[in-house]
Amino acid sequence: MEASKINRRKFMKLAGMSGAVLAIGFDSFAFGKPGTLKRLMAEDFVTGTPLNPFVVIAEDGTITIMATVPELGQGIFQAIPAIIAEELEVDMNQVTIVKSSASRKYGRQSIGGSRSVRSLYQPMRQLGAATKEVLLEAAAQQWGVSKDQCYAKSGLVHRQGSGETLAYQDLVASAANIEVPKKPRLKPKKDFKIIGKATERTDLPHKVNGKADYGIDAQPDGLLYATIERCPTLQGKILSFDKEAAMAVKGVKEVMTVTRTVYGKKNTGVAVIAENFYAAMQGRKKLNIKWDNAEFKKVSSKSYFDDMKKLAKEDGLSHKDQGDFDVSFASAADKLDVVYEQPHQSHSCMEPMNATVHVRENNTVEVWAPSQSPQVQRQFARNLGIPENEAEEKIKVHLPFLGGGFGRRSMNDPLEECFQISNTLKKPVKLIWSREDDTAQGPFRQGTVHAMKASFDNSGKATGIQHKMVSQAITTQSRSSNGKIPFEVMEGINTHYDFKNYSIQYGEYKSQIPIHWWRSVFGSTNGFAHEAFIDEVAVKAKADPLQFRKEKLKSEPRQVKVLERLEKESNWSKKLGNNEGKGLAIVESFGSIVAHAVFLKREGGGVIISKVVSVVDCGVFVNPDQARAQTEGNIIYGLTAALKGAITFKDGAAEQSNFDNYGMLRINEAPRDIQVHLMDNDEAPGGMGEPGLPPIAPALVNAVANLTGKRIRKLPFDLQEV
Amino acid sequence: MANYKLNINNEPYEVEAEPQTPLLWVIRDEVGLTGTKFGCGIAQCGACTVHLNGTAVRSCSIPVSAASGQQLTTIEGLSDDNSHPVQQAWLDVQAPQCGYCQSGQIMSAAALLEKNPKPTDADIDQAMAGNICRCGTYHRIRKAIHTASNNISNGSK
Ligand code: FES
Ligand code: FES
Repeated sequence: MEASKINRRKFMKLAGMSGAVLAIGFDSFAFGKPGTLKRLMAEDFVTGTPLNPFVVIAEDGTITIMATVPELGQGIFQAIPAIIAEELEVDMNQVTIVKSSASRKYGRQSIGGSRSVRSLYQPMRQLGAATKEVLLEAAAQQWGVSKDQCYAKSGLVHRQGSGETLAYQDLVASAANIEVPKKPRLKPKKDFKIIGKATERTDLPHKVNGKADYGIDAQPDGLLYATIERCPTLQGKILSFDKEAAMAVKGVKEVMTVTRTVYGKKNTGVAVIAENFYAAMQGRKKLNIKWDNAEFKKVSSKSYFDDMKKLAKEDGLSHKDQGDFDVSFASAADKLDVVYEQPHQSHSCMEPMNATVHVRENNTVEVWAPSQSPQVQRQFARNLGIPENEAEEKIKVHLPFLGGGFGRRSMNDPLEECFQISNTLKKPVKLIWSREDDTAQGPFRQGTVHAMKASFDNSGKATGIQHKMVSQAITTQSRSSNGKIPFEVMEGINTHYDFKNYSIQYGEYKSQIPIHWWRSVFGSTNGFAHEAFIDEVAVKAKADPLQFRKEKLKSEPRQVKVLERLEKESNWSKKLGNNEGKGLAIVESFGSIVAHAVFLKREGGGVIISKVVSVVDCGVFVNPDQARAQTEGNIIYGLTAALKGAITFKDGAAEQSNFDNYGMLRINEAPRDIQVHLMDNDEAPGGMGEPGLPPIAPALVNAVANLTGKRIRKLPFDLQEV
Repeated sequence: MANYKLNINNEPYEVEAEPQTPLLWVIRDEVGLTGTKFGCGIAQCGACTVHLNGTAVRSCSIPVSAASGQQLTTIEGLSDDNSHPVQQAWLDVQAPQCGYCQSGQIMSAAALLEKNPKPTDADIDQAMAGNICRCGTYHRIRKAIHTASNNISNGSK
């Protein structure tokens, strides 16, 4: 196929209207040959004097701040430069944000665990402030005054009381030679002009006109397209395949085996490489691979959950053990003894997994890494025998925008696969996973079982609860946990509830099903079981669930404040009509506290989610509009897991494949109204990418119980059947 | 292989392709307009939505042979300066998160407003239910469609 009237080479996508610079593609001349164009990455086009790797000021007044953290929807493209700009004393409209490549000079560029703002807030303020200090010093020297007679505002240094100013661009040459202070003074929060205010995201203009560059959009000259047929069961070996038949499809260029590593397990699939993606897919259909996978056909969701429920009857490893729960349960006047269960889930990023790699004959490499861990240079260098100190010079890695990540893109298996193909062919190759590959091949969110018990005395007061969680762990999939609780598995279980006897345990289950970080990870599953059960306990104790939590969480003033605010904003105490129900939940995870109140209504023969009111305490926030957006998104992501699909296994394979049998929440099913309120305080910044998720499913089932009296303990469930 | 004449965003293109090739891949990889996205390939997600003679269709499920000679509009053809009222409204409410679904969302919304400049919430549900947003921006999308509708009826651009 050939388009006749198209300039496929992409030039610098400079967007005047947004002040954001994205991708470059002067592909083929980029490396090595003397006298040819060497500029390849966006930062190669930045002109001016770098005061550090992040801030460059040009004599024409352009102030460039590099966006170095992968943007997957969380607004970080804007947020980190905003933190720098705040302390640097420049306005956002004076700044051009340029997308960086992957490089060690930017520090660690992997994202996950709602970590970016939390870990970069302080260092990036310091960087901005230190940069401002050298500009102040340069001005002071020029005026022959002391630095404290100078102050900075909107890219100008002012000399106190004189009305004189010097612009940053006129100071940058001398500032570059001034030693950077190690402990610059930071602004007090009350002086913030950018942090804490809603700023428009500079990547968004590109995301409403199709110009944003995602990994799947990479189009270097001479590109070939690849698809891979992998074993339909979780593991298996290739016995044979029909290479000739696939090669016979018009446009198919090559057929080869490719290995994928998932938590130490290596699996081989067959790649079909063609001139275009359609031809590759047609060739793939002809492969007729015979697999040796009989021994892996035993894996099924049924046996998985049966085994885990058995395990839940045994003692687990103790996470919290206060009082003596067994005694209080044995002597209880009244009891609750129930089991909660949640299935595996797929991340289902809107942009399916993909990668583009070009390994050249001269051992240089260009990579488009739609990844949450894009610094792949050293790994590729080892493969190619490139010395480590040459890795960054010879291997260039673009950071495209990511069409969602949710943890999935912290595993680089698509890059691993694509690298093998390109390294064999020495041609640029784009590997695209079909949606079916993406849904069924994993890794998945864990499936969990939670055995929950509570004891009550004869006055109806709750005297103790026990939460026994059984699941695989992520970090111990390819090793033993040595009798220790893996660090990730207890996230989202609130240990602060004041029960005289309080027991929290973990039982580790081992399985061949690969699991991986999935938005809020164990917070999503633990938060559901724990907060739904707390609600059962409150209702059985004849208490209002919100007052009950306030009472039992007195030791945690931040949580109480969040509940008080939720009480007010949601009008919690207002009596509802017969056709209405309400429920709430509160979970602390990834450094932030989020409470949701869900309101349900019977309408037109069904049940609708009429409103979700949220209160978020994430400490200091950078962009309140984006903190709200992340919470809205978490609500939808969590509701999808509660109400729509589940990944189930039968005969060793996932039974779901695409959005027709693995459903996503759609606009007509989404809450009619979402209101997100942010607490205003001076606490350290907490995460925002995940903490909004864990409390939504429990708030929902608690509202269902309020509406119908029926407890939902197994997800997903059908809201129209309650 | 056959030769097809396509009209995309009022520009003529000629492509060589197998007749069954999904229009989506021709638009993206042969014509080079990558704003239209691949999400599912089976008309379930709407990421690939384009206008065919003014109607929103899923380009992953239309063979190139069926699109030949028709008027096609992609996200790139909506405006070249983000001036279309739907794009403006999308920016007003800061609708996108990762942004990957948004070309499709915007094309569905633009087609809706073209036919029905004052959609109710139920109209929006109906027209937009074919577009999945995994980031969960539905709340803002609904707001943006109402904003665009108001701006259109107030005569602003
Ligand atoms: S890619 Fe066409 S509807 Fe999903
Ligand atoms: S904005 Fe990410 S899928 Fe819609």
